[in-house]
Amino acid sequence: MSNDVILRVEGLSKSFGGVKAVDNVSLSISRGSITGLIGLNGSGKSTLFNLIYGTEKSDNEARIEFDGHRIEKLSPHQRFKLGLGRTFQTPRLFSGMTVLENTMLASKGQRGEHPLTAAIPTRWESQELEFAKKARQQMKALEIEVLYGKLVTEISGGQMKLTQLSNATMGDPKMLLLDEPTAGVAPRLAQDIFQSISNERQSKNTTFFIIEHRLEVLFKHVDRVLAMHEGKIITEGTPAEVVKDQRLIDAYLGG
Amino acid sequence: MEYGYGGQPNFGQVLFFGLGAVVGATLTANLLPMLAGLNVGDICTVSSQLARENVASTSPVISVSVWVVAMVIGSIAGGIMGLVASYPALRVKEEWFLSMILLVGGEAFRIVVMNTPQIGCGFNGLAGIYNPFTWFNNYIPQSWQTYASTGLFAAIIIAFAFGCFVFAQRIGNSPYGRLLKSVRDDKVASESLGKDVTRIRQQIMVLGSAMAGLAGVFYVYYIGVASSDDYITAVTFSVWVMMILGGYANNRGLLVGTFVIVLLDRGSLISGLLLQPYFPTLDPNYFVYGRYMVEAVILLLVLAFKQKGIFPETRVKTKAYTLFDFGKKNNTTAARTTDNPNQGGKNS
Repeated sequence: MSNDVILRVEGLSKSFGGVKAVDNVSLSISRGSITGLIGLNGSGKSTLFNLIYGTEKSDNEARIEFDGHRIEKLSPHQRFKLGLGRTFQTPRLFSGMTVLENTMLASKGQRGEHPLTAAIPTRWESQELEFAKKARQQMKALEIEVLYGKLVTEISGGQMKLTQLSNATMGDPKMLLLDEPTAGVAPRLAQDIFQSISNERQSKNTTFFIIEHRLEVLFKHVDRVLAMHEGKIITEGTPAEVVKDQRLIDAYLGG
Repeated sequence: MEYGYGGQPNFGQVLFFGLGAVVGATLTANLLPMLAGLNVGDICTVSSQLARENVASTSPVISVSVWVVAMVIGSIAGGIMGLVASYPALRVKEEWFLSMILLVGGEAFRIVVMNTPQIGCGFNGLAGIYNPFTWFNNYIPQSWQTYASTGLFAAIIIAFAFGCFVFAQRIGNSPYGRLLKSVRDDKVASESLGKDVTRIRQQIMVLGSAMAGLAGVFYVYYIGVASSDDYITAVTFSVWVMMILGGYANNRGLLVGTFVIVLLDRGSLISGLLLQPYFPTLDPNYFVYGRYMVEAVILLLVLAFKQKGIFPETRVKTKAYTLFDFGKKNNTTAARTTDNPNQGGKNS
């Protein structure tokens, strides 16, 4: 096991009914990289993310190694604590709460998240303010600061995407799985999102694994691209290599 | 709180409430004469009742300390039962299965208590649980005696309720309140943000059940009898009506909802007694049970015109907002009035 591999996956499979959504997938991601995952709708990309994150369980005995830990038996919240984060394709925000509350919730290690300490504000208020400062910076960077007091049901789909991104980075993850971070977001903002992903990688050496359909934006920022088709990874390489790959062209054109 | 914040429909409130009542009553009936050095034998007999009354009206130390012990044990029993119930209940797939399990649990509890003479004297109920401040009357002039001890007890119950309210408010406006709401809104997403959803749901169930157990102890001390007739599922539904009326995830709303329902409940009883002389042909039960009809009408009206309750859900107010709200208060109010010049302050 070389040190610069942060995630190594061996033999993940998942079937729904007769359909093999993910078919014996193995892959590895190096630390500090930005990797794109592309493929047609229904090719198993989101299911792969669910398996890596533990939201769904692999059908067979798979091996998932993250940052030196075996995580295949851990629950999602334990994987989060090891430094793995994710977002969902359709934003899953907490509908009864405001944008700020959503972001604050995502902070790691909150002292006030225990029923007994919660009743004693002095035990957690200073920490709360620190997190709030951080939340404000992040929301500013994503241009959602003014929405702080809005319920997440009152904001637009693109703004929900941004809120979700700000939630995901709040816990300072070592690696983030982003499921279509720019779907439904205006083109200029899509560029900005990828720019902020690049910045995040640069400043904190965060690893990104991103599902994205906007190839023109994605290819500008990623180091490596994996392409999935019918549950299998059919090709991988740099963006320049991948676009020339005949298997990918066949898959996309239905050949 | 369990439902409003944590999103767990607990239709078994009466189970924990009833358990608290039975445990509290049994404990009191055994401890009171024991500490006074009396041997009364069977706690269900009338003679033992009289012995309890005697102790309650003469010995302040014993009656108050037994009451405190009953409260502590009653809420612990409620909490433990909540923990036990949480194992099957939190492992079912759908929220509504959980509510069914607890609904059945509550009813099963009532039937078991009713048919088991060893638990709370079974069908007849365990009578003679006296107000822990009965002795207080000895120090009060004759003419005031009817109100003195009950008034004192009522004041203490109100103080407790206020304490619970403050506690609930503080929790509601803390990171933990946020956490509970997140579990309510989307368990998968909450889990993805590193929250141990199963443990949190268990915590809130234990906490809610312990509070219900405590309420049960208060109730038997107030009503004087631990009777299985009081643990009908309607009690659970009353609690639900209180919440729907007042508003989910809003403690102030809950307070108002509770007030309205309790007022109806007790009010109908009293008005039944007061009005009976004027309507001698009318069965007083019309008033007592008429309250269910009034409750139903209120419930329907609220559901039709104010789905979110009298007080809708509010923000989780922590200091985090101070970084954002600074200097913006005037802007938002100005914006609101220009947005809706016709509606004034009515938009909610």
